Amino acid sequence: RSVLLLLTLYCGGVTFFFFFGGGVDYFFPIGKSHTAKVEVSSPVNLTLQCNWPQNGKQAANVTAFWRKDGRDIAGSHVTLEPEKRPFIIKDEENLGRYSCMFGNEAKVDFILAVPHVGNVRDKPLVSYVGDSVVLVCKMDDSKPEPRSWLWFRGNGTDKELIDASGEPQKYQIQNDGRAAKLHVYNLSRDDSVLFFCNAVFALGAAVGHLQLKVITVYEPLKPFVAIVLEVLVLVAAILLFERSRSKKGQPRSGPTGFGGRTVSRQRRFGHN
Amino acid sequence: MAAKAASNLGYIPPDGGWGWAVVLASFISIGFAYAFPKSLTIYYKEIQEYFSVSYSQIAWVSSVMLASMYAAGPVSSILVNRYGSRPVVMVGGLMVCSAMVLASFGTSIVHLYLCVGVIGGFGLAFNLQPALTIIGTYFHAKRPLANGLAMTGSPVVLFTLAPLNQFLFDSFGWRGSFLILGALVLNCCVAGSLMRPQVPEDNLQGVEIQNERREKGCIDVSLFKHRGFLIYLTGNVLMFFGFFAPVVFLAPYAKHLGVDEYSAAFLLSIFALVDMFVRPATGLLGNTKWIRPRIQYLFSFAVSYNGACHLLCPLASGYVGLVVYAVFFGMAFGMVCSLLFEVLMDLVGAHRFSSAVGLVTIIECGPVLLGPPLSGALVDILGDYKYMYYACGVFMLVPGIFFFIMHYYNYKRLDEEQRQQQSAQMRTCGEAVQLKMDQEGTQE
Repeated sequence: RSVLLLLTLYCGGVTFFFFFGGGVDYFFPIGKSHTAKVEVSSPVNLTLQCNWPQNGKQAANVTAFWRKDGRDIAGSHVTLEPEKRPFIIKDEENLGRYSCMFGNEAKVDFILAVPHVGNVRDKPLVSYVGDSVVLVCKMDDSKPEPRSWLWFRGNGTDKELIDASGEPQKYQIQNDGRAAKLHVYNLSRDDSVLFFCNAVFALGAAVGHLQLKVITVYEPLKPFVAIVLEVLVLVAAILLFERSRSKKGQPRSGPTGFGGRTVSRQRRFGHN
Repeated sequence: MAAKAASNLGYIPPDGGWGWAVVLASFISIGFAYAFPKSLTIYYKEIQEYFSVSYSQIAWVSSVMLASMYAAGPVSSILVNRYGSRPVVMVGGLMVCSAMVLASFGTSIVHLYLCVGVIGGFGLAFNLQPALTIIGTYFHAKRPLANGLAMTGSPVVLFTLAPLNQFLFDSFGWRGSFLILGALVLNCCVAGSLMRPQVPEDNLQGVEIQNERREKGCIDVSLFKHRGFLIYLTGNVLMFFGFFAPVVFLAPYAKHLGVDEYSAAFLLSIFALVDMFVRPATGLLGNTKWIRPRIQYLFSFAVSYNGACHLLCPLASGYVGLVVYAVFFGMAFGMVCSLLFEVLMDLVGAHRFSSAVGLVTIIECGPVLLGPPLSGALVDILGDYKYMYYACGVFMLVPGIFFFIMHYYNYKRLDEEQRQQQSAQMRTCGEAVQLKMDQEGTQE
């Protein structure tokens, strides 16, 4: 099987790696104690290796051992090359935080997880009572395509699956590879909840959430009326000011502006 | 001098006083006219999903709005010729407001094309033309400065609308935002109320000219025989093919070179900030006694400078190079925008300006709309942005040089005509004096 390795280095000591397909892979975080996030979507054999180049090759009395999710992995102290260890990632419980410990001073963490859902809006989406809304979750083009998408709605722990075929007047789901769209129709105040999109991979699901806020038309109407009033007041003030100024000045016969005045040709002089 | 001969208002404009309130009013109107279509793009992603259309379909809203704004130029000119600036601007403000309110209840994308695009575009045209025209009635000696200040409305309003639109969208969604934007744009009516019509007090020749215009009530097509107008029109039509595309493609080009999204957006902010300060500065420069009589050369320089910037852009390496380009381009863009209508006023005179600007905008409609898509096509076909920059550079450098040559010739002819006119006047004066002396002689 072929292996694709994408390497992105960030400052601050966090490194991202992406893996597609299976086979044996390794990667080398460099430098001091830090964390590497690894995204895996399907079962893979991974070899994790960590270097501690502070003393060139490791000093003889400092050995490395491995922990998963805070608990020591049995037998990791005694392997010949403790810094390099193969792991079989087969299902969801194999995901988690793998730590390569050097004595008690330093460690390198590898966080194995499914790919995250891309650019999800953190602010609520606003819509109106009686109107409809489209909620969108996308997986970045650089990441693997999920097997399927699921939508949930709920608050906190109370999550219920959305079944579009059961309520076609209310929901319509369009899941298309990397993008998932949920149309919600006939909105009401009760729909001001969190919606969750689950990108389902072989090794588990990634969750993105969107907050929906449903308001009535009176909400924007308040600033609208306020601004219209402001405009009316200003226009009236400016025009009244102008009228009072022209009254104070020389009395004019006829309307202000143009028209109504005859011109005597004899008074015409050269211009400028 | 070319400047004095072109004034011909028939009265001495105040060059201050209430004129500054009019500059503020024009600032607001021009600001909304140019910035409003550009600022709506923030809603497009959401509206696109809502109506299930493609991005290019939603982007058409801005294009229709811009096209209507330019195409309605002559209509606006006719109305200003007939009724003056104030009523037209107030009607324009009401039109854009109703357009946005109607759009907020929209049920289809066509609804948006018609409301925001057509009605909104017309309303903005009814703001742009009168705002430019009225400056010519209030200013002569300080007109370049007044024009420069008024044109600064565009970047300032854009700068304000961008975060405001984001805030409105986060709080009210796109429908509520359109409703509130409709109310905000009603402030153009406030601007209109400030546009007090000029009443010439003593010199009645001005009234005569105004009366003549009222009687005609149409657009002055004899402008097509005006030498200066034709020079301006020809150069501008060519120039607008390459004018706006570099702005549209600044951020995409930066991203293409590997710059991240926020830094690319920051380039546009730098560009807008520089633009904002350069416009009034150019107005001040154009007002100086060295430049004012030959202000056409400053405009020619500004256009050529734009061209040079674009031709050199592909040499910019890395983000720092792009920042430098954004600064220089901002300066160039600001200079051209500041002088764009001032030089037209300088050429045709303030009383024919209204008709002139109407004719110019409808003819410029084509290149303004075609420029960015053609540039985009160039990028897609050739696969590299640098050819687009070379093309835009050429489309600006050639008119710039054209302007230099043609205006040199035009100034010479104008000076000649001025001399002929002055000597003819002296002759008639002398004849009149002679006649009077003869009359007095015979009367005695």
